[in-house]
Amino acid sequence: MLLRVLAVFTAALALAAPAAAQTRLNVAIGADVNVVEVHKSLLAPGFKAQAQEVEFNVVGTGTGEPASRAIYTKIKAQADTGRKPWDLDVALVSMAVASQMAKEGLLFRFVPQMKNAALVKGAEVKEAFGVNVDGYVVPMFHNQIAIAYHPAKVVNPPKNFDELAAWVKANPGRFGYNGIKGGVSGVGFTMAWVYWKTGLYQQLTQGPADKGKDGAIREAVTALRDFNKNVVITNGNAGTLDALNRGEIWMGVVWIDQLVAWKNEGRMDQAVTPTLPAPGLPIYPLYLVVPREAASRDLAARYIDYIATPEVQARAIVERFGWYPGVDADKVLPLISPKSRELLFKGVTAQDLARYSRQMPLKEYHDMITLAYEEIVR
Amino acid sequence: MFVWPVGVSLLASFSRDGGWTLANYGAVWRLYSGDVLYTVGVAAAGSLLTFAAAIPLCGWLRARAFGPVEFLLKVPLFVPFVVVGHALRVVWSPYLPGFAPSWPGIAVALAWKHLGLAALLMLGAFRGVDESFLEAARQLGSGTVRVTRDILVPMAAPALAVSAVLIFSSMLASFSIPLMLGRGSGGQMLMIDVYYRFGQHGDFETASALGVVSYLLAMGAALVYVRRLTR
Repeated sequence: MLLRVLAVFTAALALAAPAAAQTRLNVAIGADVNVVEVHKSLLAPGFKAQAQEVEFNVVGTGTGEPASRAIYTKIKAQADTGRKPWDLDVALVSMAVASQMAKEGLLFRFVPQMKNAALVKGAEVKEAFGVNVDGYVVPMFHNQIAIAYHPAKVVNPPKNFDELAAWVKANPGRFGYNGIKGGVSGVGFTMAWVYWKTGLYQQLTQGPADKGKDGAIREAVTALRDFNKNVVITNGNAGTLDALNRGEIWMGVVWIDQLVAWKNEGRMDQAVTPTLPAPGLPIYPLYLVVPREAASRDLAARYIDYIATPEVQARAIVERFGWYPGVDADKVLPLISPKSRELLFKGVTAQDLARYSRQMPLKEYHDMITLAYEEIVR
Repeated sequence: MFVWPVGVSLLASFSRDGGWTLANYGAVWRLYSGDVLYTVGVAAAGSLLTFAAAIPLCGWLRARAFGPVEFLLKVPLFVPFVVVGHALRVVWSPYLPGFAPSWPGIAVALAWKHLGLAALLMLGAFRGVDESFLEAARQLGSGTVRVTRDILVPMAAPALAVSAVLIFSSMLASFSIPLMLGRGSGGQMLMIDVYYRFGQHGDFETASALGVVSYLLAMGAALVYVRRLTR
């Protein structure tokens, strides 16, 4: 019986295996199913029209940081055991994981060989959490953390964190975010709070790492603990949107792309609008990377190059999903329709993004802030 | 198959940056000792609630077999944890805002999910009690409540203790229900902390130390189980 099962399994594998002339590109996506879907249904077929020898195998590894961690764990295990080549060619991972992989020498420096290399711009493609990622990463899209509000309940949305703190004090239980254990939007809000309270944005993001800043950070986090007394801590990014949609809270910390997606799917009150108060909130890109020992590194770089093309960015990233472009916005935005542009910049304008998009801090400060949060706020 | 992963995580819990250390347990003590108590408290409350509901129901079913009720009682056994968390959150939110993410909410949800397992184990134990004892009690005028309290529970006590251990251990290790119901602030179940340590920080060492603390908590309960099996 066992032999028969094995024979059937082997035959099935043989039938499923791509033809010899095909090159298989294994793409691991550390993001939600909609991102996996855009690779499967739009980007891979588009690239295949240019490179017919490619056979795609696109897999999703889940959502949030753990999804990227799963990719890191797999690649690290192969590196540690000395196995070559590695079985992933392209990976979409978070900023935190990409920086760790770059630091540990697990990535291939592919950007210089891209035709669209000049479009890969911005501070976040040079350094991430204080690690040099220059040449190793291409943001598939940018994702901005923002404050979403009900215009009917919040007539004058806060223009800065001072106004936000005053509003929350005057409206207890009507502002929500997800703490630091419910997703990155809450982590991002915590970082923004510390930037605002300490005024140390430059140092926390550019370095050098200095343990002497712990006192200022703890003072800011203590103020956050007091702020939280009038705040609803939700159970995740979706939990905040859900509470906003039901009117349980009137303002909350959200990912703009998730807000747009929920609105597009009819799951969200269309009136809910994002705003970006000064001194700003972090932007958190998802990076396309090529593992150092990928079997098809050059083909992987070509695929990422294709995704970085302004036309593809306009069509697949902005028009279809309402995400901010991953590469030079000046080249992508002229290609999108006025309607998409209005949707994309409703509430948060391109100028707001330019002024108030913040970077995540260096890893040392990130850990210092989250540790202080765990100890002081809980 | 079992010893290897446990051994690896035990070693990881005593290591950091290539050296041996107790720092991971220091982090557990400093950051998560409150959560250890919280987890034990929620699991204990959940187990008590499960038994408070299961004992009278199973006593009643032992006295008069009634298929539909027995079937309904076992339904939670087949409902996935995530679905239980989601369903109860949706049901409670409009009527009892704030209840779902509270510790009583999580304990009630865990009790709901474990009711099926408790019923399965408890009905088997109650049905193992010889009918002649029940008949004698009934002839002396005992009702279902008294038969359950004075005959079934004492005679099935060892089996009930084993059920309690299994249910308590399962609740200690619960993840999906607290994840679906809980909030990102206040007390957290230990598995949520484990997930946070490796998911958010890539900190496998502290996550392993939290895992070891969970083993120890479950082991205290498991010792009762093993002693019962080997007696």
